[in-house]
Amino acid sequence: MILRQLRELIRKEILILLRDRQTILLLFLMPVALIFFMTLALKGVYTDKIYERQIQLVIENESKLPKANLLEQKIESHKLISRVDRPKGMDNDRIFAENKAQALVRIPRGFDEGEKPVEINFDPVLDFGYKIAIRSLMTSLTVEVVMDIDNLEVIVANMLVEKTKPNREIPSPLQQTVPAYAIFAMFFIAIPMSIGFLKEKNDGTLQRLFTYTVSTNLLTLGKIIPYYLINVFQFVLMLLVGFYLMPRIIGFSFQLGDHALYLIPVTLVVAAATTGFGVLVAALARTPEQSSTLAATGAILMGVLGGIMVPYFVMPVLMKKLALISPMYWAHQAYLDIFLRDAALVAILPKLIVLTLFAGICFYVAGRRVQWI
Amino acid sequence: MNALDISSVTFSYSGAPVCALQNFSLTVTEGRMQALLGPNGAGKSTLMRIVTGQMKRYSGDVFIFGRKMPDHRALVSIGYAPQAISLYTTLTARENLRFFGTMANLSGEQILERSEAVLGQTGLTDHAEEQVATYSGGMQRRLNLAVALLHSPKLLLLDEPTVGVDPQSRHHIYETLMGLNKAGMTILLSTHMMEEAQRLCSSVTLADRGKMIYDGPMSEIDNLEKFFLEKTGRGLRDE
Repeated sequence: MILRQLRELIRKEILILLRDRQTILLLFLMPVALIFFMTLALKGVYTDKIYERQIQLVIENESKLPKANLLEQKIESHKLISRVDRPKGMDNDRIFAENKAQALVRIPRGFDEGEKPVEINFDPVLDFGYKIAIRSLMTSLTVEVVMDIDNLEVIVANMLVEKTKPNREIPSPLQQTVPAYAIFAMFFIAIPMSIGFLKEKNDGTLQRLFTYTVSTNLLTLGKIIPYYLINVFQFVLMLLVGFYLMPRIIGFSFQLGDHALYLIPVTLVVAAATTGFGVLVAALARTPEQSSTLAATGAILMGVLGGIMVPYFVMPVLMKKLALISPMYWAHQAYLDIFLRDAALVAILPKLIVLTLFAGICFYVAGRRVQWI
Repeated sequence: MNALDISSVTFSYSGAPVCALQNFSLTVTEGRMQALLGPNGAGKSTLMRIVTGQMKRYSGDVFIFGRKMPDHRALVSIGYAPQAISLYTTLTARENLRFFGTMANLSGEQILERSEAVLGQTGLTDHAEEQVATYSGGMQRRLNLAVALLHSPKLLLLDEPTVGVDPQSRHHIYETLMGLNKAGMTILLSTHMMEEAQRLCSSVTLADRGKMIYDGPMSEIDNLEKFFLEKTGRGLRDE
């Protein structure tokens, strides 16, 4: 009898939700669009800055002696460099202002004799990482020429070996955006959940339900279970979009990692946290307007702090500390543990405990504050 | 036997300076259609909520067919149509009936059978598969009543069942209520419409400021509106 009532309560919630186009757009299309656009936007953050892009470089060899010529040839033939000629009549400032080149290298007279050094001039707005890369490249090439070494990289390779896991040096931006915006959208469940609850309170359907032999516990379960299931479905859908659809459209790869089965416990716990947030908003808000403001502001703030909108690893130290207060951070890191770090379950467990605590606190506070009638 | 026996019920909302109901007593005899009248703030809706088990922190006693509330078996014998259209507007009429039927613990077969019956009674059979949001105000009121009738209650509580409906729907609702009462259903009708009360009900209870101020047969009252104003005064009630 109670199971039949529970099944009907769940069915009712899902039917109402499926007939609400705005909610469908919010829960399913918004994250797909965000994954698509944010993956493209984050391309520069995640791609290999050294080999993915070339630097437009003006090379001016004023020496024309053998060593200077060799250096010019080495610079010109490097894969990082795209040589451009100085446009007629343009000084350095104008070259940079008009984005004709990002750096200038001048090999002066006297270089071969060791009297004058090579000069580098950077576009002032050039990314600091590029400056370091170019400076390092110029140092290596100049040392090679001056010291008469054929290939410095080969010598260095005997002293320094990189042991990063193959294919994991630089994650595809999809690895960040798929779990990030799936989690973000899952937290937005608070909007339809709380609005639905308040609407039922305001139009009297909830009061009407109390005239039947239906307990508040059953009504609570009837509210939580459908949204929990929808949250799980949201994640599965975003995972499919990230795995099958996005690589075909925007060309980035998406890897599940070696322990894809861990996605099950992580998603179940994350869905509990997101549903808990929804229940809390529903219990605290007094009007539908209040609930949508509270839910959207809360989700966006958690997203900003939690490394959803700005990747965690590019955040300054203070923001990294603040990220710890956002449940989205813990959820996102748990997924990244699976996708990128091949982490053992024991490494993911602390994140799941934090999320479970968050869910528990939300349900507890909501239970104390909720007013059914 | 009395269908409803309310004895010395007192209730106040938290933080409210005055009681919504004060020592309120009311009896509805089985098989009768009784009007519950009163100006705004008289406590009619509060009384309905107490009788239907929505509010439990009151003093005094409420008996339904001899069972003291709160009692699950007593609750099953009540059908309640609230003043607000308390339906899921994105569901169809049949989906609403299936939902509320399940909440009333009807079996699947009973839901099908009773849904057809109440849709027929309220003239909504042809619109059963349409979403309630597409209904007119009158159709929504009729479906509100249909849901209350679904589990074949012995006592029907109606809170302003004809507010905001056109004369045709109102007439249909009157006909339905008279038919149900004739078939033995006890009805307590809370309304502001004097003509409606005088036309449908054989007895009347008048409430004002949380107290019962009159209880007697309708036949003793010539002009209900005049009687109402005499008893409750002509001052505006904006609370």
